[in-house]
Amino acid sequence: MSTTYTIPVGPVHVGLKEPVTAWLELDGERIVSARVRPGAIHRGIEFMARERNPIQVIYLSERICGICSFSHVMCFIRAVEDLANLSVPVRAQYIRTLVLELERVHSHLLWAGVACYTIGFDSAFHLGMQLRERVMDVLELLSGNRVNYGVATFGGVRWDVTPQLDKAIREMIRYYRREFTPFREIVMEDPVAQARMRNVGVLTREDAVCYSATGPTARASGLRVDLRKSSPYEAYADIPVEPVVPQDYFDAARGDVLDRFAVRVLEVYQSLDILEKALDGLPEGPFVAEPNLNKVLVSLKKAEGTGWGIIEAPRGDDTHAVHLKGGDDNVFWWKVRAPTYANAVSWPVMFRGNELADAPLIINSIDPCISCMERMMVTGSSAGVVTKAELLKRCRQKTFDLKARGFERGVER
Amino acid sequence: MTEKTEKPRERRGMSLADRLSVSRFAKTTVDCGVLSDALRTRFGDGIVSLEVREHKGGRADEVQSRDLWVEVTPETFRPFVEELFAYDFVNFHVISGNDGGDDVALNYHFSLFQRERGGRIGVVCTVRVPKSDLSLPSIFDLLPGSEYSERETREMFGVDFAGLPNKALVFLPEDWNEEIKPWRRDAAGPAPELVRELS
Repeated sequence: MSTTYTIPVGPVHVGLKEPVTAWLELDGERIVSARVRPGAIHRGIEFMARERNPIQVIYLSERICGICSFSHVMCFIRAVEDLANLSVPVRAQYIRTLVLELERVHSHLLWAGVACYTIGFDSAFHLGMQLRERVMDVLELLSGNRVNYGVATFGGVRWDVTPQLDKAIREMIRYYRREFTPFREIVMEDPVAQARMRNVGVLTREDAVCYSATGPTARASGLRVDLRKSSPYEAYADIPVEPVVPQDYFDAARGDVLDRFAVRVLEVYQSLDILEKALDGLPEGPFVAEPNLNKVLVSLKKAEGTGWGIIEAPRGDDTHAVHLKGGDDNVFWWKVRAPTYANAVSWPVMFRGNELADAPLIINSIDPCISCMERMMVTGSSAGVVTKAELLKRCRQKTFDLKARGFERGVER
Repeated sequence: MTEKTEKPRERRGMSLADRLSVSRFAKTTVDCGVLSDALRTRFGDGIVSLEVREHKGGRADEVQSRDLWVEVTPETFRPFVEELFAYDFVNFHVISGNDGGDDVALNYHFSLFQRERGGRIGVVCTVRVPKSDLSLPSIFDLLPGSEYSERETREMFGVDFAGLPNKALVFLPEDWNEEIKPWRRDAAGPAPELVRELS
């Protein structure tokens, strides 16, 4: 006779970069079903925007997320530009694209490192963190900040690309082309890492479509979706981008954690190419349409209507809708939908049939947003409390057990 | 932007299951003009307003993508979404909305045709739900990805979605007083004393 018991992972937990609760129904170690309850970090940020003017909301939107902050800024700005019909100088479009791609490199490197940490592959984790430093140095050189760059504004950007920055980005591209491949090979060709990620947290192509999965999560399931291709914005109008899907590189798209890892890793190379093209093609001219913020505010005060901004953020498509009311200083209403909002709906599907020790890895595999605190409690019939350290230990122990059993490549889990 | 102007597939006789077939995802790209004309013909007065917005970009400053902003009547809403499935499996983004006084205006953000370069059409379907009858058919059975958005709209605006299986709170705390709808601007919204002012 089988008994199932239900345990919550979260709301705060080491495996989660964002507070969220997953109620897992377990039969032994197997996850039978899962229920996800977000809300632990709902800050009412959309409500806060109602008392701020559009320029203040740029900096508010930047603080939605630490890693993909520029994506949110771009989305909000593009939504306002959509409703107010603001045009952006072409040099600014290229600089925006540069920062978007730098941010993507940063986000993917960080995620790849953390994924290695989750499975107990610490040397690769440290390597990933070391690699990530370089792009943060470049972002710091551009804006003065390692996160929350404050680069974009309505009708352009605030900082220009100097010859010094141009040189730094090109050196960074060379550095990553040289140093990133060993990292990729160390992780993806490691039999134990493969065993931990292959066929874990599978999201089929059909489910990815039905649940409106987005970004690398959708592409790992084989969907050729990328807003940089399907509706080219900013400099992507001049720089063609093809969606990275596993079936183009491997035999097939399985939609598991390893595929999600592969897609992100391959997208780093793609981003480096885009960065190079954007630098080579950087047009001359102004980098902002109207540098006087007071004039921008006055014109936005007259604007009326609803705008929609949607871009391909590192984690998937990011959507902002904004409404400005004529004669009103402040943003009338604002709706933010981060990519995780869409991808989290697929979590219950990914959990099904996997082991408890894989739960943190699966949750992480969609690259949910920021902030990590840790604790987990077991309720119901089971014995006592499993701490954060305990669950992490279990997740890592599974890797060590695999090794101890003399694991060889090709052996099925 | 592709210039394919082929007629959308024959709809009559196509069952709902056929329309929802995932294999149809992003197979044929339909031009935005053709799509908007077809939707006008199909729904007539059910469409309150329709606007095509173009997004320009790049060195040549050419049109890179198009969005379709459609306002439909509440009765037309569900058939309208089903109709979109005749063209492509709809990609759902989010529901945004506003308390407009006598009604709650909801904007459904969808995408169609994501396969070809520049082929995507963003569809914003606006529907004004009167406060006298704050309910709308759920699209959860068509698009399970809409679950969080419908639950969020329910808890924030008090719009009920007929057919949504899980109507639990999604973002508000467990001990939230469900009488209070945070995004409403009338008596159902949060009282001023409930709002903490940050400096």
